[in-house]
Amino acid sequence: MLSENDITFLVAAQSLELAARDLYANAISRKTKSDEEQGLLTLLHSHHAAYEQTLNGVLSKRAALKRNDEAYTRFFALLSNADNFWTTLLELENTAIATHTAIIAKLESAKHASLLASITTVQARHAAMLATRISTNLDLALENTAQSLVAP
Amino acid sequence: MSYPNQPNQPNQLSRRELLRLSGLSLASGIALAACGKQSGVIDDGAIARLGEAPSTTALAEAEVTDAVLLRTAASLEYNAIDTYTAALGLGVFKGDLAGATEIAKRFRDDHQAHADAVNGLVKALGGKEHRCANVRINDLYLTPALALITDDKNPNVGVDVIALAHALENLAAQTYQGVVELISDPKLRADAIRIGQQESRHAALLAQVLNPGIAAMGPTNDPTTGKPNIAAIPAAYGSQANIQLIVGAPKPDGTRTTLLLETPSLNSLVYDSVSC
Repeated sequence: MLSENDITFLVAAQSLELAARDLYANAISRKTKSDEEQGLLTLLHSHHAAYEQTLNGVLSKRAALKRNDEAYTRFFALLSNADNFWTTLLELENTAIATHTAIIAKLESAKHASLLASITTVQARHAAMLATRISTNLDLALENTAQSLVAP
Repeated sequence: MSYPNQPNQPNQLSRRELLRLSGLSLASGIALAACGKQSGVIDDGAIARLGEAPSTTALAEAEVTDAVLLRTAASLEYNAIDTYTAALGLGVFKGDLAGATEIAKRFRDDHQAHADAVNGLVKALGGKEHRCANVRINDLYLTPALALITDDKNPNVGVDVIALAHALENLAAQTYQGVVELISDPKLRADAIRIGQQESRHAALLAQVLNPGIAAMGPTNDPTTGKPNIAAIPAAYGSQANIQLIVGAPKPDGTRTTLLLETPSLNSLVYDSVSC
């Protein structure tokens, strides 16, 4: 049984995943990238869809009803500049990691903290791979300077 | 047709005989007990005895606390530091692998920073820092792997060293992910997984060194063997399964040794009584 505290934070995590799913769907629909890059975008889209669905199952009737519109609008605007394409997706992944990690620090349920932990370790891989599309700078692939959307 | 419990069978015991035998056994037991120490009999050494039962020492209390879990994570950081140091000492990052030197140095520094951070958390909990490698992980995985890799007959030392580092990074990431569910303090869970995330980034970058290209970032299979290739992003969720590491010189049938690495378990945790 989830506490009200945990429901609030897991809804925040799910709504961010809904926004990420929609942002990747939008990025794929632009068809501006090579087949291999489109394949990578499709893979990352499928992961965010899976995260949203898993959290939807966890929350059941208390699941998020809509995406995080603030995040969606912000990243959608950044994606409109083709030069920022990979940087924006990298920022999106790092923001999701920072947000989910802040939520882990607030969850009472260790089991659901563990679920978010397993999501963030893969999102860290997403971020590292997106960074390699931008530069060979190791700092870009390894460091996360993004801010959490949930107050730490 | 005859049945084994029929009374006329030669090797069968009747109910009466059974009762008589059990009575005899009981009487023998009482007689032996009466000859024991408790009966005041003095042991004059007349009856030969082989060996001496050693006295036992009680094991130290081994409670799995947040500090123990974090000390274990710190020990893995030292396994990684030692492995990268050994890898750099081999001088095998040449030619196509020349870029791996910079990566290995950076990752070693990251692991040192992780070790310092985790030990800081341990101290904040009132625990004792742990500043050396996990002996059991060394004995079970790293020493055998390095022996296979540095075998004179191994033609792929450089690539195998990177494969070992990749496996070790995955092991560290899995360990941090695994302890999140075991740690009692929510803030410590976040601190732990923050480090685990960087181990995952390390693993993803090393996967790209071993199997480069955008098409290899996601899961793929070897068309010949059907086995999964090394991938930067092998699945949607962080795995907790054992990690395959294939290294060493090819055997006569062309295969190479596969080692299976697992995250520290109850017998490899760094309990409070364990020291360097």
